Parts: sequence; structure tokens; C-alpha cells
Amino acid sequence: MRWRERDYWKSLSELADTEEFRIHLHREFPENADQLPTTNGNGNGNSGDDTPAGWSRRNFLTLMGASMALAGLASCRRPVETIVPHVERPLAYDPGTPEFYATSVDFEGEGIGLVVQSTDGRPTKIDGNEQHPASLGGSNHLLQSSILHLYAPERLRKHMRGDAEATAEEFVATWNGLRETFADNRGTGLAVIAPPYSSPTFARLKRAFARRFPRARWATWTPLSNETISTGGELATGRKLMPKYELAGARVIVGIDADFTNDEPNALATARGFADSRRPLEPTDGMSRHYQIESTYTVTGSAADHRLRLAPSLMPTFIGALARELRQLGLDLQGIDNLPAAGADVDAAFVKTVATDLMSQTGRSAIIVGRRQPAPIHALALAINTALGNVGNTVFYYEPTDAEPVSLASLNETVSAMKSGDISTCVILGGNPVYNAPADIDLAGGLERVANTIYFTMFVDETATASDWLIAASHYLEQWGDTRSVDGTIAPTQPLIAPLYDSVANIELIHLMTTGEIVPSVDLVKETWADVLPRRDFDRNWKTALHDGVLAGSVGAATTPRVDARSVGNAFATLLSQSSGNGLEVVFSSGPVHDGSFANVAWCQELPHPITKQAWDNVATLSWKTSRDLGIENGDVVSISLNGATIEIPAWISPGQADNTIGLTLGYGRTGEPYNEGRRSSNLFGFEPPRQNVGTDVGVNVYPLRTANALGVATGGAQLTKTGARVTLAQTQDHWSMEGRPLYREATYRAFQAHESHGKDGKEDLHHQLLTPEKPHHPPLLPLWQQHKFDTGYQWGMTIDLNACTGCGACTVACQSENNIPVVGKEQVIQGREMHWLRLDRYYGGDLDNPDMNVMPMMCQHCEYAPCEAVCPVAATVHDSEGLNTMIYNRCIGTRYCSNNCPYKVRRFNFFNYTNDIPKEHRLQFNQDVTIRFRGVMEKCTYCTQRINKAKFKAKQEDRTVRDGEIVTACQQVCPTKAIVFGDLNDPESEVSKLTKATRSYRMLEEYNLKPRTSYLGRIRNYHPDLAPKATAHGHDHDTKESA
Amino acid sequence: MKTLRRRADASAATATMPWVDAPLVSGTPSFGSITEDISRVAERPTTITWLASLGLVGSFALVLLISIGWLFYEGTGIWGINVPTAWGWAIVNFVWWVGIGHAGTLISAILFLFRQKWRTAINRFAEAMTIFAVICALIFPGIHVGRVWVVYWMFPLPNQMLMWPNFRSPLLWDVFAVSIYFTVSLLFWYTGLIPDLATLRDRATGKIRRAILGILSMGWRGGNRQWQHYELAYLILAGVSTPLVLSVHSVVSTDFAVSMIPGWHTTIFPPYFVAGAIFSGFAMVLTLAIIVRKLFHLEDYFTINHLEKMNIIMLVTGMMVGYAYSCEFFIAWYSGNVYETFAFVNRATGQYAWAYWTMVLCNVISPQVFWFKNLRRNIVVMFIASIFINIGMWFERFVIVITLSQDFLPSSWDYYSPTLWDILTYVGSFGLFFSLFLLFCKFVPVVAMAEVKGVLPEADPHHGGSH
Repeated sequence: MRWRERDYWKSLSELADTEEFRIHLHREFPENADQLPTTNGNGNGNSGDDTPAGWSRRNFLTLMGASMALAGLASCRRPVETIVPHVERPLAYDPGTPEFYATSVDFEGEGIGLVVQSTDGRPTKIDGNEQHPASLGGSNHLLQSSILHLYAPERLRKHMRGDAEATAEEFVATWNGLRETFADNRGTGLAVIAPPYSSPTFARLKRAFARRFPRARWATWTPLSNETISTGGELATGRKLMPKYELAGARVIVGIDADFTNDEPNALATARGFADSRRPLEPTDGMSRHYQIESTYTVTGSAADHRLRLAPSLMPTFIGALARELRQLGLDLQGIDNLPAAGADVDAAFVKTVATDLMSQTGRSAIIVGRRQPAPIHALALAINTALGNVGNTVFYYEPTDAEPVSLASLNETVSAMKSGDISTCVILGGNPVYNAPADIDLAGGLERVANTIYFTMFVDETATASDWLIAASHYLEQWGDTRSVDGTIAPTQPLIAPLYDSVANIELIHLMTTGEIVPSVDLVKETWADVLPRRDFDRNWKTALHDGVLAGSVGAATTPRVDARSVGNAFATLLSQSSGNGLEVVFSSGPVHDGSFANVAWCQELPHPITKQAWDNVATLSWKTSRDLGIENGDVVSISLNGATIEIPAWISPGQADNTIGLTLGYGRTGEPYNEGRRSSNLFGFEPPRQNVGTDVGVNVYPLRTANALGVATGGAQLTKTGARVTLAQTQDHWSMEGRPLYREATYRAFQAHESHGKDGKEDLHHQLLTPEKPHHPPLLPLWQQHKFDTGYQWGMTIDLNACTGCGACTVACQSENNIPVVGKEQVIQGREMHWLRLDRYYGGDLDNPDMNVMPMMCQHCEYAPCEAVCPVAATVHDSEGLNTMIYNRCIGTRYCSNNCPYKVRRFNFFNYTNDIPKEHRLQFNQDVTIRFRGVMEKCTYCTQRINKAKFKAKQEDRTVRDGEIVTACQQVCPTKAIVFGDLNDPESEVSKLTKATRSYRMLEEYNLKPRTSYLGRIRNYHPDLAPKATAHGHDHDTKESA
Repeated sequence: MKTLRRRADASAATATMPWVDAPLVSGTPSFGSITEDISRVAERPTTITWLASLGLVGSFALVLLISIGWLFYEGTGIWGINVPTAWGWAIVNFVWWVGIGHAGTLISAILFLFRQKWRTAINRFAEAMTIFAVICALIFPGIHVGRVWVVYWMFPLPNQMLMWPNFRSPLLWDVFAVSIYFTVSLLFWYTGLIPDLATLRDRATGKIRRAILGILSMGWRGGNRQWQHYELAYLILAGVSTPLVLSVHSVVSTDFAVSMIPGWHTTIFPPYFVAGAIFSGFAMVLTLAIIVRKLFHLEDYFTINHLEKMNIIMLVTGMMVGYAYSCEFFIAWYSGNVYETFAFVNRATGQYAWAYWTMVLCNVISPQVFWFKNLRRNIVVMFIASIFINIGMWFERFVIVITLSQDFLPSSWDYYSPTLWDILTYVGSFGLFFSLFLLFCKFVPVVAMAEVKGVLPEADPHHGGSH
């Protein structure tokens, strides 16, 4: 356990007051961690901030903060002996001022650049790095939530041998014993199961491992893998290829079972390009048309202009028919033949329209196939994209450089070897494969026959209970490393905090496995980077990369695939010939808790599923028709059998899903023991009951149904029967219809383009409203008495572009993370007491079999004439001069009248002392700038008032006004599609005031004269004339409605 | 037996001469017998029945205490409220109890000013009921706030922050309206009690009893000057109370009417609430009167004629309430406002339609029985009807409050259902009410003796003279 002390802490006292000490202080961590000083919010460095003495605020901050954090934790790694309080505050160190550092996370074998906020040494908030190509500043709810992995109270705090705690030295000794054996037999009997790591350093060390133990088996596995995508590339070109979509310039986008804005590789960047292609502000602005073909509703599907619901078994037919249609229209598919016709089950008119549209936009279209689909479909899509000339324009193919491709076969072979007794030692480098491996690959059974199972993990999970050794893993915010994104861009991972517990980094462990020595992660990374960075001026380049969070110029060269038509044709023909079984089909997808790795994060559990709005549970979704055929109602517990396994799970009707298809969400039904035996507490009985891991026994584990041949979809073979039991589910939205109210408003692209011709002279023309449902006619909106004008100073406002918003839910979690919003648990959600300040309202439109799904973010609208303010008896919610509807927590007595009178119902009440239930460790994440709310207090969205004040303060110090874009709210910052814009409405040049005046801008419930400060940009549907719904085929349907 | 015969005589008399009011006190009352009949109730030794009853209702009051204790410890989350329905049974109960109180003030003040002499028999205990109902009502807004320890911020107390409450808020108007109402009602009641307390003092046997009653009767001797002052004070208080009958529930109704929630934002609310309050108040007076006259053998004072008059008032106010219900629908349709229209159609057909139709059945249908004279003079029928009306008026407030559950944005719609603690708190408030009422019956003359004497023929200066 002492082995790493020297890296970070030990020498400080010895070095105190020496020249060396100061040099050390200049670095992030004494040894190596030099960095460029950063200043504020967005990771943009400003070297002018650095003090002449070279003392970095960051250094002190990190050391102090880390020690404070450690001091607060029960199993503090080492006593804080060398830190003394500041007698004189170091220059430029400002306690309580957050600092921002760039780092990157290796997420399922894909590097995503991040900027992490650090408050007095504690990482407190994670956001995307604008300079990183896989993030572009956006992130998602999982990246937001990953900070709670760091502070999870149930984290493994020590290495474990069996049930006993063990030190690192003990493990090194044990391993060295094993290592000698394997050194002799070149690794025979040694197996490694690892998730895909994109890290160049990990790849380098893995190569060293393979050289050292050439006979060792290596299996790469993750349950949501991109294997089909890269294998598809291999089928088509002979090389494993990963596509990267740059959709900003695309005009026709076809998604085939692909939730490409949300749950596919490189989704954040894809989503940004997608949204950029679809935000027309002027009638002359272009807009892409998006066709989505999918089985279950996805958020990407909800953003589509045309959506075709199709059972999984018909996906091959669809893309085959599409290719056939394209070929008939003259596309050169290099002899791929045996393509099927649309047939009775696939809408031939739809296929024809898509094909025509694609042909009209060659080079400006993209066909995107989801990773659930088998490889031959990906191969065919690659061929079509190539033939359409999209490659190099909207679609780019990259060959994975470092990440070991996920290989189901390798896992299968390894487990077979285990079963036959050929494996004596198995090292599992994370990923919880016992829980999430394919059901027909009996990893747990295999591990029983392995003498030594060593599991590298942060949590005592399902795999841990099957292992002999547990090696405590560091969180990515605690370690050095590096990552590579799909396009090859390298980004460094730098620690924000010293490891909270006795943990090691993945690269340290793989290096230890090869060499028997523990080398600090930073040295390993630098060693790799020595080859990557120019030798001359290494330090400077290294610092620049650390500062930027990305290595400039490391983007790989996209390859131009040469399609092997015969191979694609054969593979596709084979796929088509595979008949699907009888019975229902199944689609497996990941939801709020991803593959289960986020099941222990309360934020994720409480985040409603974007489609079903289900929190704290997973359900089996069925289409409206199928549910009626089977006689199933919402909440009926059904028994589903597939491939010999059976699970019982509540059913839920999801309109718009393909008929005869069951949608299942992965990641629930985790098992585990309580992680503490109960401890003293301040509650009534002076004792806190043992705490369960958040995700334990929440929902149903559907992995038992997920076999190797049905990882994404099962095209038949499932049986579903009612058990007769019923359960109450935690729904955050009960009602699906908008009841014809003008809440989510939309127009066709045609109507939008023609709108100008009505002569929009700046005044609102009631008879030619663009958006439907139209705003009710109302008398002139006059105030009863002289109202405040709100025309001086800053006037804050926000716009939300419903065309860009996909409804992924990242903003809900970002808001939770920024504003210390507690989770309330399943029972309270059922009671209707979820605390999310920002929710996503989902309405279905059209017929129940194939509806549109409309999603809109909803939070406090900051009405100028706020109804909540008039009714509060104690004036606890009042308006400020900048138009903010403020909430004064310590004045609030909790009459809840404001919530009653809020037409948007965006106010949230602390019915209990919810914050009290947040584990102490988790509280380290709290944003110090946001007050914790006690029970009995109302709360709501503040437009991130703490960020506004910070920016105003800074501007005042610098004797200027706040610049447009300087204030970024948490929801705005996280949004991968940049659908949210915040700023000063009083500044005519600000982005937000321009958007507020845009043609498709509207305010909700405008007719009540509330003057909300948040406005929405209405949804524009770019219908193809051949497929447009009858009523809107010619645009301006509102005119006819009006006269009717 | 005698009583029955007397009652039959009385009704026979009214039946034959409908233009002549039936006597206000039946039997052969004299000043002495009235004093004896009424004082006896307050003076007789504590009975086992009374003690057992008090124990029973007292234990319910204890349930209230426990519920409130748990509420203060855990927070308002123990109730079924949520967002959107952030008000639940607590507010329903508040409005209901305040409404109950209105009959007492109406009887004692307005009927006094209108010289409706039949009120004398019932005004004492109707007023007592008012006070107890208002006590029960006041509990709910007091405890329903999230941070009960700072509830005093509702009052305009001087403080170093110069922080005033928000005078625009109807909840603040409530504070003033209900506290004034309580104060005035208490004063009015107590003023009316003084001559009777003096009577009890004069009849008191024990020293302590006499001393206490002596203090409470404030030196009342029954002198001419005292009567003059007394009657003037009583008249002034009646005048002060009269606008309160209209204002208190009007103000309470603004809790809803001033908001912008469809189904709440309605100008008809103030008159409709006042009518409803009188309606429910009379129902409660009737319920209690029937019980009290039976228990304490006061059939001569609470005659069937009194009860009939109250039934007529209930018939009238019930129809006013029914008119308001239908008028709301008309206006909802006439406004053309989709939210408004939806709110009302949804009331009758939506998830709480059962509550709506319960309300209509109880409040609009059930009082219709009082069109028939034999039914409105039938004790059993009127007792059942009064219970129905009590229930119906509770549901009326429930229907109004849970309009919240489905307002502007369908995304927020939710179902509200009470928890055990909601129910226990409500049941407990009955415990408190009846505990107070039993104590009242035991220690205070339940009929205003002095006033009843004033309506006897003997009290008429022309009594005994030539007609």
C-alpha cells in the first residue's frame, strides 16, 4: 500500500521551503503533473493568470481539496500529516473558486474529451470539451453521472483477497508467484477478459503483455459493443472500419435501427451535426430530411421527419429493398445482387421515396445503421454510402488503431477453455462480464473451474462474487491515462484528485501483470506519448495537450473503402436466407442506466426513460396493437421466454413500436449485498439501516434472455404470457396526449418556407400563424396596472429549439448535478414528487399505432408577470430587475401555493428532507454555489443564477458588461445538439434575442399574458411531398382549419 | 310522552292556521321552567355517559395530536399531496370547517338583525359550533405549511429586516379574514353568554363554582342599565359579524378564484362559497341540534318548527349551490377557453367524476326532499339529509382542490389520493370538535336562556293586555 505514496505526497514536508518545493508546487502533482494555468469556466486557458512566482493555484487547490476530501472519509488512505493550513494565502489561490481541467474518459472503447470542474480539490461537475471532436462541448447523462461513480459510497476501498482486505504488496507478491509460472510456459493457462480500452497506453502495454505471454488468451467484451459495425466494415472492405458521420451538410439522413444521436458510437458529435443540418431560422435556410426506420421508439426516431416502424426481422428486407430501388434508379452498386423486393411487409412506397430522395442528394446523404443490426447490413450500408458518394462528405471511415475490437468469439473461446480446465488464472479487467455476458456463454460456470480469478473493479458486483482477488480500480478522475476517439484523436486523461481509496489504474495493472512492478500511471502515459509527441520540447507539448484536453493534429486519416461487392452480396444473401422463428421478436436496448454499469447511480435510476418515462424500473414495451392482441395493460407482469430462459417483467404500451415486438431495456435487476452494516445516524432511532447499493433489486435483469446470437435483436422465438400479477410503476408522466393544446407547436417545412409571403411585417398576424396547434385567439393582452418595464440592464432569457432537441435527458441530469437536486426514490416518484427542475415532456400525436413523439424540455419559464409571485403570502418568490423569477429558500414557509398557481407546474417541493438521504460521500459532489434545500421549501429552475452572478461579478471586476455567450446554463452546456441558448434579451445582438425574434419562436401559454422569458422554436417537419400526412401535404393546413 | 303530545298539538295548530307562526317554545314554558330546563343540563353531576363520550371523542382528538406530531417530525410528505396537486385534504378540511362555522354567525347575527326570533333557541350552540369549527379550520392552514416553525411569518410582524408579508396573496387575506372572524365570533358568543352565566352563578351551590362563574359573568346583575348596555353591545357585535358572514368565505374563495388555474379562476366563487358555507353550516347545526335535543331533552326548545325553518334555508342555499355548479359549466363553455372547458368537462367525466357526482347527489339532489312538508318535518329524513349535505359539501371542496391534478400541461397530470395520515388528521379534527362540543354542553347553557325568555309571550310588554 505504500508503493505509491512517493508519487504524490510523501516528499512535501521534506521539500518545504526549498527551491525544489516551489518547483513542485508549480506542477499539478509534485512529480509530473505540470499544466498550463487555467482560468475560468470553459477550459480556455489564459496564461496571463499565472503568477510570476510560478505558483499554480491549481496545485494548492488540488492538494488542499484532496486532503479535505480524504479527511472526511472513513477509510482515508493516509493521515494528512504534511499539509499545514495556509497562514498566508498563496497568491492567486482563491478558496471556493472552481477551477476547470480538461481530461478525457474511455467510454466503451471510445475517447470522449471532458472539462471537469474542481472545487477546492474536489471534482464536482463533468462537462464536454469543446475542442474534442467526440464531444464538441456536449455530453450526455452518463458522462454527467459518472462523477457519482467516483463518490459512490459502496466503492471498493481496499484490494480484497477472498473476504479479507489485502494490500497492494500482497497482490504483487501473489502475482509475481503466478507470473513466474506463466513466464515459463509463455502464458499457457492465463486468460484476460477486458472491456475495449481505446487508450494508446493500454494498447502499448497490452502488446507488451502479449509479447511476454504469447499463449495467454485475451477476450474483449462489452455488452453494448460496436462489433457488428466493424465486422460489417470487414465484410465489405476486408478491414475493420468504424464510421464517423458528419451530418451538418447532409440533406437526407436515413437511420436504420440506429439511435445515432444518443446511443451509438460517437453519438455526441453525430447529434451535433444532425441538429446543425436541421435548424432553419430564415425561410431560405436549408434543412435535412430524416427518415428513421426502427422497431422501438428512440429519441432519434422522435426527431425524424418520417418514421417507419418495422419489426427487427424485416430490417434486412428493408435495406435490401432500398438498395434494389436505388439500383433501379441507376445507382452503381458494383454488382451486389440478389436484393429482395419490399414485399408485403415493408411499405414499398416508403422505400421508393427514400431511394428517390437519396438519389437526389448524392454526396449529401447518409445511411446510418445501428449497432444492434448484424454485420451484413452494415456492410451493405457501407456499400450504398460509398456508391452514393457520401464517403468523404458526410460519412468517414476510420480503422480502429488501439482499441482491441470487441470479439464475441474470443469470449466464447475463453470460456470454453475455462470449462475444459485449460485456464488456471483469469484476470478480468473490469466490465462486470458475469452480469452482462451472453446468457449462453456460462462465464460464471467457467470461472468456477479457474483457480485464480482476479477482478479489477470499482464495485463489489456480480463478477466480484465469482472472483478470488478484487483489485480496487481507480476512477478515471483519479488516474492518468489517454484515450482515442473514433477518428483517431488522442486525448490525455489527467487526474482531478488523488485516489480516494487504495486503488490502481487499469494501465498500472496491465503493466504490473507484465512486469511485476507498479509504475505510476503518469510515467506509463508519458512513455507512450514520448513516441507521439515531438521529442524536442516534449514538456511544452505535453502541457499544451493537457491544457487543451486533446492532442492537436492527432486525428487519423479517414480511409476510402474499396467495397468487395461479392463479399457483401454473399453475406447479405446469407442473412436474408436465415429465416426468423415464430413468435414475438425482441429488441434489446440500453436505457438510463446504460448496460447496468450506471445502475448504482441514483441520478440515472431516477432519470425517466426518454420514451416510456419510467423511472426506477425497466419494462417490456409492446405496441398498442400487440398489447391489445395479447390482452395486456400497462403494469401487467408478463413472463417472457426466449432461447430457453424466462423472465418476469412488467409490460408497458409504447405507441409507435413495431407490432409483435418486445422492447427490453438492459442494465436493471442488479444483485448485491448491503454495503454497510448500519451506522450511527441522527435520525429518530440513532441508527441508519444498512444501505443497499442504489441499483440492487431495481427492475428486472433481461440479460438471461440475451444470447450470443441475439445480442441486439431476436428475430422471433419469444413467448409472452400474462402472469396475472400487476405492479405500480414509477411514471413521471401519466398522460400522453397534448389534448389539442398549443404546447408543442410545429409547422411543415413547406409552410415555413412559404410563410414570408404572408407579409410578416413584424407585427403578429393572427390569421397567419405559422405554428400548429395555433394559439387561441384572445383579446389584446393589457396589464391591469402599470407593470415594470424590464427594459434596462440585463434581461435574461432562454430559447429552446424543438427542432434540435432530441429529448435525450442529458439536461435533466446536468441540472441535477449543477443544482444539488436530490433524488427521491421510487415510492416518491410514484407519489408524483420527483424533484427534477428540468423535465422532458413527451406527447404523442397522430394515431396510436404510429404516432409522432414530441418532446420538449420544460423548466421554470421565468414569467415577467409570474403567477407564482402574486400568491406567495411571505414574498418568498419575487422578481428581480433582470427578469429572473427568484426563489428565496430561507423565506419560504412552504404553503405550496406558488406551485398550484404555476401553469407549467415546474416548481418542486421538498416534501421530506430529501437531501438528508444523500450519502455523505456523494455530498462531496455538491456544488458549493448552490444552497442545499431543507424540507418544506419550494425550489425550481433558477436559470443557473449562480453562473449568472459569477459572470456578472467577473464582468464588473473587469469593468465591462457580460459578453454574449459568457453565461452558459448547465442544461445549455450539456446539450449535445445545442438546442438551448441563454443570454441577454436586452442586447439586440445577442444570440438569444435573435432567436427569440425568429419566425418559429413562440412562448407557451402566451395568451395568458405571463410573458415567459423562455421561448421555444417550433418544430419544423420536413415532409417528403409523397409521404406527407394528408392534412399537411400542401402546407398551411392552419388556414383551412381556421375557416372550418 | 308528554313532549310528543305537545309536539302533535303544535303541528296541528300550525297546520290549521298557517299564517300564524307556531310558538317558538312548545309546551307550557315559564321563565322559571326555562331556567330550570336549561341550567339543569349544565349543573347536573357528571354522568358516566358524558365521561365515556368525552373519552371516545377525546381519543380521536389525541389522534389529531399524534398526526400533527408526526407531521411536524417528518414533513408534509406524510400526506398524499404531490406536484401538481400540492394542496390536499388539509385545505379541503380547512374550507369545509370554515364553511361549517358560517351557520352560527348567520343565525346569531343576521337573523338577529332581521328579528327572526326563532333563532333564539339555536343561536347559542350554533355559535359555539362556529367557534369550534373555526378552531378546527385554523389548525389546517397552520400545520399544512412545509416549515411550520416559521408559520408566524404570515403575520405582519415588525422585524429587523423590514420584511412584510405579501399583501397580494389571498393566503394573507385568509389570515386576516379568519382571525378576525374567530375573534368577533368569540366576543359575540361570550357577550351573549354573560346573562346566562350570571344565572348559573346565582344558582351555583359550590363556592369555587360561584367564584369562577362570578368572574366570567363580569358582575352581571340584570339591572336595567346593564340590559341597555348589553343589548346595544349585542346589536353592535351583530352588526360587525354580519359582513363577516359574507366576507370570510368570499376571502377563502379567493384562494382559488385569484389563481389562474382552470376551474379555480372563476368570479362566481365568492357568492357561491358563501351560499355553500351557509348550506353546510346549517346542515351541521341540524345534525348537532337533532342529537342535542334528544340527549338533553330539549325538544321544547329546538322544536320541529326550528328544524323546518333550517331545512327551508338548506333547500334554498342548496339550490343556489346547484345553480353555481351549472353556471360554472355554462361559463366554461361560453368563455371558449379550452383549458376552462376541459377542466369542467373533466370534473364530470374525468378521473374524479365519482367525487363530482357524489357532490351533486349530496348537495343538489338530497335537499330536494325538503320540498315536501312532511319530509322536512321528519326527524329521520332531515338527519340523513343533513349528513348527506355535510358529506357533499366536503366533496365540493375536494372537487375544487383536486382540479389541480389536471391543469394546463397534460405532462404534469397526476392522480392524487390521500394517505392514512390525511384521513387520521381529518378524523382527529372531529375528535377535537366534539370534545369541545361536549365540554360546552357540560359547562355552558346550550340554549340562550335570556333570549328565549325574551320571545315568550310573557316578555311582550303587551302581554296580558287587551288584544
